Amino acid sequence: MSDRESKFELSRRHFLGASLAGTAVAALPPFMRKAQADDNVLYVNTWGGNWEKAAQEFLFAPFTHDTGIQIRTVSPISFAKLATQARSGQYEFDVTTLGLAEIARANAANLIKPAQGNIDESKLWPGAVYANGVATHAFANLIAYHKNSFPNGHPHNWADFWDLQTFPGSRSLQRYPVRVLAFALMADGVPPEQLFPYDLDRAFAALDRIKPAIRVWWTQGPQSQQLLRDTEVDMIGIWNDYATNIQESSEQPVEVIWDQALIDKSCWVVAKGTPRAHNAWRLIESIAHNAEGMAKFCAVDESGPLNPEAFAHMDAKSAANAPTNQAHLSKAVVLDGVALLPQLDEIAARFDRWISS
Amino acid sequence: MNETSSLQGADGVPRPGGTTAAAGLLRALLKGPLPLYLPAALFLLAFFIVPLGYVVVMSLTEPRPGLGNFTALLGSRHFLMVLLQTLQTAALVTVCALLLGYPLAYVAAGPARRLGGVLLGVIALSFWTSFLVRTYAWMVIFGRQGPLSHWLASLGWRPPPSLLFTSTGATVAMTHAMVPFMVMAVYAVMKRIDERYVRAAQSLGAHPLRAFALVYLPLSLPGVVNGCTLVFITTLGFYVMPVLLGSPNQQMISGVIGDQIEQVLDFGAASAMSVILLLVVLALFWLYHRFVGLDRLWSR
Repeated sequence: MSDRESKFELSRRHFLGASLAGTAVAALPPFMRKAQADDNVLYVNTWGGNWEKAAQEFLFAPFTHDTGIQIRTVSPISFAKLATQARSGQYEFDVTTLGLAEIARANAANLIKPAQGNIDESKLWPGAVYANGVATHAFANLIAYHKNSFPNGHPHNWADFWDLQTFPGSRSLQRYPVRVLAFALMADGVPPEQLFPYDLDRAFAALDRIKPAIRVWWTQGPQSQQLLRDTEVDMIGIWNDYATNIQESSEQPVEVIWDQALIDKSCWVVAKGTPRAHNAWRLIESIAHNAEGMAKFCAVDESGPLNPEAFAHMDAKSAANAPTNQAHLSKAVVLDGVALLPQLDEIAARFDRWISS
Repeated sequence: MNETSSLQGADGVPRPGGTTAAAGLLRALLKGPLPLYLPAALFLLAFFIVPLGYVVVMSLTEPRPGLGNFTALLGSRHFLMVLLQTLQTAALVTVCALLLGYPLAYVAAGPARRLGGVLLGVIALSFWTSFLVRTYAWMVIFGRQGPLSHWLASLGWRPPPSLLFTSTGATVAMTHAMVPFMVMAVYAVMKRIDERYVRAAQSLGAHPLRAFALVYLPLSLPGVVNGCTLVFITTLGFYVMPVLLGSPNQQMISGVIGDQIEQVLDFGAASAMSVILLLVVLALFWLYHRFVGLDRLWSR
């Protein structure tokens, strides 16, 4: 779940910081070796914790079993390192995962290997390859609300989230501009197919309307959970797994709205210039084709598999909660990082000005 | 500098040692046994002066060399508003801490020794409680499901207001954090006031209130000045409480600096804001030194 925390902000910081970081290369820890072909080992960047355990068990172990190639992990996931190692030629990891906005940025900055010729797209499900990465699982940003806070009719979508007359009450959203602007535009009536790139003026005009009701902008996943559980806010934009967890455990009835959920995906990429690129692509290919492993990984990570075959290996509850099952996906909107690429810097800067003014 | 130090202190007593703090410091540095202060000096140099210098350099070089960051900030209405708001909040916290702390210190320094001991103990306990723990405690107290809300609701205030994520809530919490500083500064001075002065005034016919206002209060003023300086300057740089308890629409400057680094990654602007905050604090210290004497902050 740490997969989605301020990913874009992180990437931006590190991207801009890369010039600074370049000067720090001389002080790299000793375990970062110089680029050299190493046939038996691959270095994978992970989020650590349960994420890493599940990935080791369900995604990496089958690959090692088939190929004899050992997987060593490096955590946490860091866009900064991806940028720095491409510049320094010293590879701490060969493979990492990126969100949809990040991968667009990494791809444009030439930090990742092209997928063309390295992976057979025709053998994967449609849309599996995105900006030279392979998107294997996803999570959703959606609305959850306290039923008791809205006795006279319930909200159904972002327009209702924005409607302070009909649904008075306090709100919270993640401080993550790329997602918040999508919510604002959907609230303002922009159809999903016209969402990207954003109409920034329209989005910020819509944001002005909701600002007084946003009691707090959450920045950490657990914080959003606490705000909802303690009824600190009546309605919140939150990650799907956190929303369903609270729905199941809360004393107060909590409802989850899947309509207009915003999907962000995790994409596996190969660091540009690594001498172990061939094996790195074999690992990604193995993960992409390992439907059963992905199903089990997603059950732990509480995300949704993108490989349709994975659903055959999921229990009913995990499948029902998965943001990528057909019922949910058909109502959802998928973030388009590539279309937003030229706007990313402006979005971040303008949002910050807006939020503090 | 030399004239300033020969001025009288705020309590009207000429201050001993005619030389200035700076000259005195230099002489002491040269005369004193070098190895004794060397470790601390090196530590401060490596972990305070150098990083601070790095911040100043960044404010002047990121993203390009020049005063661009400063002219942009000083021309930004938004930044000036944040700065003004921070100063206002710090002033409000200082006044509240003084109103709460002065009577506390007065009683603690008074003749009732046992009560005084208990009061000082409670203040020390609150002072020693981890800052973060206190902040989270306020989150619980101010929360919509918290005791304050329930209490206000039971008094008939419906729906009860929630102070969490408001600047009022942050101000209350910061005041709570600052009262011990104020009490300690004021208490130290009050403890040295000779009670016979007040008794003398009363025996000459002054009403107790009048004796307090004309005798005790002026004698305690140096402590008030110390306490206010300490509280005001500390509050200017508060980060955790305003960020976790305050309103997202009324930030204090350290929160804005944090956002510049974490959200916008504008290290240049963040450094420039830090430098401006530092200059404001230095200016206040200078004023304090000019009228009271910096050494007073520590000696008592």
